[in-house]
Amino acid sequence: MGKQLVVGIGDMKLGRQEGTIITYALGSCIGIALYDPMIKLGALVHIMLPEKVNSDSNIFKYADTGIKETLRKLYAYGADKRRLTAKIAGGAKMFEMKGGGSMGNIGERNAQTVKRVLSQEGIRIVREDTGANYARTMSIDLQTGMVLIKTFGRPELRL
Amino acid sequence: MAIERYEDMNSTALDVFREIGSIGIGNAATALSQVLGTQVHMKLPKVSIEGYNEAIHCLGNPEEIVAAVLVEMDGDMKGIMLYMLKMDFINAILARLVNKYIDDFNQIDELSSSALEETGNIIISSYINAITKLANIEIHLSVPSVAVNMLGGILSVPIAMFGCTSDKLMMIQGEFLIGDTQLQGDLLLLPDIESLNFLLEKLGVADV
Repeated sequence: MGKQLVVGIGDMKLGRQEGTIITYALGSCIGIALYDPMIKLGALVHIMLPEKVNSDSNIFKYADTGIKETLRKLYAYGADKRRLTAKIAGGAKMFEMKGGGSMGNIGERNAQTVKRVLSQEGIRIVREDTGANYARTMSIDLQTGMVLIKTFGRPELRL
Repeated sequence: MAIERYEDMNSTALDVFREIGSIGIGNAATALSQVLGTQVHMKLPKVSIEGYNEAIHCLGNPEEIVAAVLVEMDGDMKGIMLYMLKMDFINAILARLVNKYIDDFNQIDELSSSALEETGNIIISSYINAITKLANIEIHLSVPSVAVNMLGGILSVPIAMFGCTSDKLMMIQGEFLIGDTQLQGDLLLLPDIESLNFLLEKLGVADV
């Protein structure tokens, strides 16, 4: 089992070799697990909005700044872009608002932005479990890079 | 002085919102007691301003399953009303309205879900009606929507809604007691920051 790092909302943790990194109950938010298998270095970032629009200092809240900062850290720890892969989960629409509502589908916009930013950064998305209407708890095993998704009333999913 | 962040509110402003919550929850309790045909009491509401992760922990465990009714507010006050029910509260409602007992959230079928939705709708509407009368403002409510899922995922909805303007959530939290038993059900009023200023000004307490 080893040690477990917990990632909050708008937060990021990285680790190497052993243990797991987990983030709980991703709703419209998205968890992005990045992993370099050769040096067994992984990171999990939990973003909640697509793009940074103001001078907000919490860069991990946003897909664009959060992913870029996570990659910067991973490169600093020796990750190689050609080996890095991404697995993403979340982006659900928790409530079906009849008649639209001003909230729109933030989960879907999050997912689109995450994919766009990863593609701009040249990172491959190897697996994803996004959309639908339920929350997901996501964890990455730093020994193998395997991602586990837990939901309510559905079997566990391995990515 | 205009409030730019939830944390900017002074104790007078917080008292105003506690009072608003108190009037709202009082009316909601009356409405709930009519629906259920039983005595419903309320606890004095709490106003809390917490970071996202702390806000979730205030209400429970992020992975804990709850049933939630969400209504979006628009007009003079914008934001979200969220009515979150745990198992014992759900059973109290289902027993009286659809004569059903569940011991797992998977057993909430369409009929149960619409009973919860309707109860939530009545509670939230009476809460908001009381506020609109008090402050002489107009608030439009969306059609309610129900979700049964992880607490953390449900709270991600208001968190994402206010995420651009705040790192914290302001929750005006009310609780009901049915008969003598305290049942776990949280009624949360989550206003956006702009509405706070409007409401304080409207009530004549903006400059205290």
